[in-house]
Amino acid sequence: MGQTTDTGELIQGTLEMLILKALLRGPLHGYSVAEWIQQTSQQMLRVEEGALYPALHRMELRGLLKSKWGTSDNNRRAKFYELTAEGHKKLDVEAQRWARLSSAVAFVMQAS
Amino acid sequence: MAHNLHEFLLRLKALFLKRRLDRDMADELAIHQAMLQDRLKRQGVSQAEAVTQARRAFGNPSRWHERLRELWQFRTLHNLGRDVSFSVRVLRKSPGFTFIALLTLALGVGANTTVFSMINGLLLRPLPVPESDRLAVLGIDEGSPRRNYSFSEPLFRGLEKRHETFSQVFAFSNHDFQVRATSGTESVHGQLVSGDFFNALETPPLLGRTLVLIDDQKGGNPSGFGVVISESFWQRWFNRAPNVVGQKLQIDNTAFTVVGVMPKRFIGADPLSRPDLFVPLALEPVIDGAHNITAAGLHAWWLDVLGRMQPGVTLKQADAQVAASTGAVTHALATNAEDLKQIEKHHIKFAAEQGSAGFTYVRMFFSKPLTAVFAMCGGILLLACMNLASLLMARGAARQPELATRLALGATRRRLVQQLLVESLLIALMGTVAGLAIAPGVSKSLSIMLLSGEGDIHVDTSLDIRVFAFAALASVVAALLVGLVPALQATSKSLNEQIKSGQHTTQAQERRRILPKIMMAGEVALALMLVVGAGLLASSLVRLYLSGAGFDIRGLENISISLDKQPLAGDALFRFYRQVEDGLRRQPGVTGVSFARMVPFTHRTWDEDLSGESDKTKDVFHNRVAPDYFRAMRIPIFAGRDFTWNDSPASGLKIIINQAAAKALFPDRDPLGQIITKKDDKTTTQYEIVGVVGDAKYEDLRSPAPPTAYLPMTQDDGGMGPSYNAVVRASGAPGPLADAARSLIQGMAPTVPAPVLTPMSLTVDESLSAERTMSLLAVFFAACALIVTAVGLYGTLAYSTARRTNEIGIRMALGARRTQVVTMVFLENAGVALVGTTLGLIAALLASRLLASFLYGTSARDPWVFAGSILALALIASAASLLPALRSARINPMVAIRCE
Repeated sequence: MGQTTDTGELIQGTLEMLILKALLRGPLHGYSVAEWIQQTSQQMLRVEEGALYPALHRMELRGLLKSKWGTSDNNRRAKFYELTAEGHKKLDVEAQRWARLSSAVAFVMQAS
Repeated sequence: MAHNLHEFLLRLKALFLKRRLDRDMADELAIHQAMLQDRLKRQGVSQAEAVTQARRAFGNPSRWHERLRELWQFRTLHNLGRDVSFSVRVLRKSPGFTFIALLTLALGVGANTTVFSMINGLLLRPLPVPESDRLAVLGIDEGSPRRNYSFSEPLFRGLEKRHETFSQVFAFSNHDFQVRATSGTESVHGQLVSGDFFNALETPPLLGRTLVLIDDQKGGNPSGFGVVISESFWQRWFNRAPNVVGQKLQIDNTAFTVVGVMPKRFIGADPLSRPDLFVPLALEPVIDGAHNITAAGLHAWWLDVLGRMQPGVTLKQADAQVAASTGAVTHALATNAEDLKQIEKHHIKFAAEQGSAGFTYVRMFFSKPLTAVFAMCGGILLLACMNLASLLMARGAARQPELATRLALGATRRRLVQQLLVESLLIALMGTVAGLAIAPGVSKSLSIMLLSGEGDIHVDTSLDIRVFAFAALASVVAALLVGLVPALQATSKSLNEQIKSGQHTTQAQERRRILPKIMMAGEVALALMLVVGAGLLASSLVRLYLSGAGFDIRGLENISISLDKQPLAGDALFRFYRQVEDGLRRQPGVTGVSFARMVPFTHRTWDEDLSGESDKTKDVFHNRVAPDYFRAMRIPIFAGRDFTWNDSPASGLKIIINQAAAKALFPDRDPLGQIITKKDDKTTTQYEIVGVVGDAKYEDLRSPAPPTAYLPMTQDDGGMGPSYNAVVRASGAPGPLADAARSLIQGMAPTVPAPVLTPMSLTVDESLSAERTMSLLAVFFAACALIVTAVGLYGTLAYSTARRTNEIGIRMALGARRTQVVTMVFLENAGVALVGTTLGLIAALLASRLLASFLYGTSARDPWVFAGSILALALIASAASLLPALRSARINPMVAIRCE
């Protein structure tokens, strides 16, 4: 899958941060994560399935998420992801980095 | 670090639960699709349309699976698996090549492993006792180049008492015991061992106890003679009866009690011996009766001595300390001035050396031949690798278009080299496994062949860590040698040139064709060296056989008669033997019967110092023979007469000498009628020479016939016991003669063990077993080398010709005749063969000097052998090159130009 930027607008690292945020409230399955991101971003960020699941699996391998099989709202078997302690820590780190990055960019863009 | 481990574990889990992983992934994606469909339906899309749209959003499901699965795999493992299955397919497609490659490697690795496991079993393998590296073998340096490892009993006892260097010093001697069974006596192999034998070897018994110092004292253990038996003897003799300790055994007419049983893995200190009985050393006089060896004191050298070093003592220190103590030990033994003079005369010095592998005298004879054979094996392995490498290189050249295409499609050079390496590793692995599978069996039969003359020998050639490690190393080295260079070569060109097929021979391509040629030339050189070696050894062996023994070997049988436990002596003994003689003479086909104490070529010698004309003594080999010996042996009598049954002790001591002895003792006059004198510590004996006979070889075929003296059986003073060997000249099969001898002798004395008949030719063969095996192996290796080289020459030429099909087609279209084409192809290999032969010739001339010590009557530069080898190689090279050459002549020019 590699380090190539995916189709769509989100770079891999940022997508992971958003997924971590989505799961802050509690376990969700993949579809719900994508739906939450889309809704919370006022439909401006749409996560492609082709990016979502590889990211979820990658993060599970790295220990940021753990998975459990359960039943969804409509009684289907679904895989639920939830944050691990590692994941919580990573979210904090990424959030800070993003804040610094965006304010740095803002400084540059505000200069005349 | 922690999450690396976590990742690894998850991946490992995925590896084992592959199906569950697949199912989970399918479910996960299915539910996402379902929720997508639900959403679309809520937005008003029809069921069918929703399904299609959802599916479109997802795309190809199998691509999904693949992408996700890839995340969960061990990438290297996965790639490796792909490489292996690809390689298997490629190898299956060219079965001829694969088979030859496997065969060459199996041969190379198998041969090396075989010989190495023999070397391991004979020379290297440590004894199965705790801390075997603390054991040291003791020897005696007498100033001669070869160290002596046989001690006399008083010397050993002197060393046994000292404990500064060694916590225990022990001695043993191999001995065959006569054990009384329900039906007659059976000869059982065992050892006489000293008191500290078991202590030093630190192996607890299976049952009962081991022998200790009280058992090994003069007169034996006051509570009875104890014997320790082996586990296999316990099984064989007592049927593993649990109450075996305390049972009685009659050994050599003496009552013994079994005091312990040793486990099967215990073999004592001689790695080639499997003793069934362990008898205390001090009881040897009881066992051997009147002619026991211990009584001979300082004059008999028969004990192997080892010691377990004190903790903290190094081998070097032990050696120095034991040498320094020589004076003290030897002087303590001298009971009188005469002994002291004897001791001083010999200037001996004790020495200690590595003893972790125990001691066996056989090593001294076979370590050099085995090492030579090992070197030859190394040559074969190298040859096999070179052959394989050049075949692979040639094949790689033929696979260029395929590899270029793969490179163009995006494969990295690294991956291609990896895959090619996997291919050659696969061949190496299979070849090694095949070689390893046959190695133990072949080494077992090889060691039987090699050591057949040495009596009851067990060489443990089973695979152990060392052998396995060696084989693994050999195969990995082989694989790398064989695979790396071709792999690198095949993937090294720029894309453009590779995709174009071989019509244009650019300079770079020419250069690349040279490397396989250099390899083939090296192979030819190596093959020539092996063939020369085989030729030299084989012609040396033939000359050995043809050198003659001084007597007629064919049709001569030796029957060993063991009367040691019989009370016969003097005239009664002679009547016994004369009866045996009559009985044997009446057998069909028998033309001569006599008796002799010593049989030639059996490692047993009897020599004394005699003086003739002058007072100077000469070392003369001895034998004691009955009348008619020389006629039976077909040794010519040049002067005087043979012995008769009337030569009794009363008529004066008689002697017959051979020509070598006559020259040594009476250089200036006719020896007939002269007196020979033998002086030892106490007495002077004089013999009258009644005959001079032809020279006959004594110890082995190699050494020239030594000065030999023959004494008459009728004047035997009984000092060496009553047992003789019957010497029978017979035509026809030996079987009936053996049966007749057995029934005859056992009819006359039922308690005598069965006499053993050995044809002289067998004795001779066995005495030459080292030379025979070496020659056999050398010839075998040379044949293999020739075949492998031929195959290599054929293969590389075939590949190269296939690549040049286009060029040949053009030549023929431009008017070249078929014979010209054939010659051109044929000569391509001629250059290789020529260079190789020249290199090989020079190398062989230099290296054959190493074989010089093995050769008999053959110079290491024997011109016939060299000429023959060059001829053989030339023939092989020509034959191998002929086939592709002829095939190239059948190329249709029109087809050739058109084809790529």
